[in-house]
Amino acid sequence: MTAKYRCVANASNVRQTFVLSITASLVILLADRGTTAGNDRGAQIAAICASCHRLDGHDKGIPSIVGLDKEKLAGAMAAFKSGERSSQIMRAVALSLSDDEIATLAEYLAAQPAETKRR
Amino acid sequence: MTWTRRKFGYVAGATCLAALGARAARSQANARVVVIGGGVGGATVAKYLAASAATLEVTLVEPKQRYTTCFYSNLYLAGLRSLESLTHDYETLARQYGIKVIHDTAAAIDPVAKIVTLEGGAKLAYDRAVVAPGIAFKFDSIEGYNEAATQTIPHAWNAGPQTKLLRQQLENMEDGGVFLIVAPPDPFRCPPGPYERACLVAYYFKQFKPRAKILILDAKDTFFEQDLFQDGWNRHYPGMIEWLPSQFTGGIRSVDVKTRAIKTGGETFNASVANIIPPQMAGELAQRAGLADQSGWCPIDPMTFESKLQPGIHVIGDATSAGDMPKSAFAANSQAKVCAFAIAAALTGSELLAPHLFNTCFTLLAPNDAVSDAISFKPVAGSIKINDIFISQVGESEEMRRQGAREADGWYAAFTHDVFG
Repeated sequence: MTAKYRCVANASNVRQTFVLSITASLVILLADRGTTAGNDRGAQIAAICASCHRLDGHDKGIPSIVGLDKEKLAGAMAAFKSGERSSQIMRAVALSLSDDEIATLAEYLAAQPAETKRR
Repeated sequence: MTWTRRKFGYVAGATCLAALGARAARSQANARVVVIGGGVGGATVAKYLAASAATLEVTLVEPKQRYTTCFYSNLYLAGLRSLESLTHDYETLARQYGIKVIHDTAAAIDPVAKIVTLEGGAKLAYDRAVVAPGIAFKFDSIEGYNEAATQTIPHAWNAGPQTKLLRQQLENMEDGGVFLIVAPPDPFRCPPGPYERACLVAYYFKQFKPRAKILILDAKDTFFEQDLFQDGWNRHYPGMIEWLPSQFTGGIRSVDVKTRAIKTGGETFNASVANIIPPQMAGELAQRAGLADQSGWCPIDPMTFESKLQPGIHVIGDATSAGDMPKSAFAANSQAKVCAFAIAAALTGSELLAPHLFNTCFTLLAPNDAVSDAISFKPVAGSIKINDIFISQVGESEEMRRQGAREADGWYAAFTHDVFG
């Protein structure tokens, strides 16, 4: 979801107040559109997670992984990778991601709002 | 306030253009992608394309108004789920993601002019096309089993009326009857499917027709997760399910549809209810559009899922020849994301990461006894190879299997949300 955000935020040649107001409104719009928007690095990796985890905070049967502390998320992935935490599905996913990809993913997921009131 | 993707795209696009001319100039404004087929692969690729770049115009062509998932349809046969609960529409994709959904059938693709012609006459120009046609059946490879025969002996390997017909026949079957499943040769959609079907129909029989038997005539000599299934059959349904490999029967030869008599290389077996899952190939459009090779399946570039036979057209899901990847909804969803990000990168210049491909299948041996497999894949030398594989083991605790069943339900809800919004 941050592709457009970044696009605006990088526009240093535009008056700052204008940028800030547009940025704020885009963030609201993006939040309204759901949780799979964008194709930056974080969004591309998080797309893997979305096959099993709802990325809007719903957690029926499968835990929610959004809006959590990014260190905690990265730590959980490291534990799945080493086998310290057991889950064959999470182990397969964690082993296929590099430490760099896990850090990017954790940052992205930590920044997602948990909108449990949405459908 | 409800903002459609188009409105959002207009605002975002205008801002970017004003602020960052150089960046916008690299993009191909309003590039068009036509996705043909609204199953799991097609719906996922359309959604992720629309979500990834507001400048992409995404059209989804699918004849049906609503889609019933084949995965989980064995639970309907067991009486554990309604067919309605497995049925999804395209409204969220249209409304929230701005995808133009056209309920029609693609008649032809012109790969040179880059135009898809619909049966209704409309012509859709594209910059990239994605074809996700699922499977077609090789009728008459079992003599006597043709399309008309499916009205008497269902395949129930596309969910919907066929699944309903099979359930009706199972309900009407007398206690003590024989339910016969013909399992197909590799490769086919959903490798654990026929054997899970045996489990869940046995679960139904155990309650309502305890003297019934299930006989599986297999075109193969081994099958996926065989040890897990045979352990489950023995524990939950002792004496009810019998599996006969091809080397035992001499192979499945023909069927007398009227009498439900199935002739093998040796014996002829009589069924009270029969379910023939025929040999398969890529869906019809793939064959017509020159996307399939002599194997009947569609060769693809594993980095992008672009056809190796028709440049500019991508193929995803069951129709592909995707190396070690099985034909499953999960695999189709995983391939669709890799394909969507690759197309977005080609058309808008966005960054593209190395592809990550996965499969997971949850399989119910009984309602509280779920096994699963988890596999990661990587592209190797133009094909797709298994990277890591983890599969449930015989002898796991009951609690672990119960937890698996809870996860399976959560997975179905989250997964269909990922696909259909």
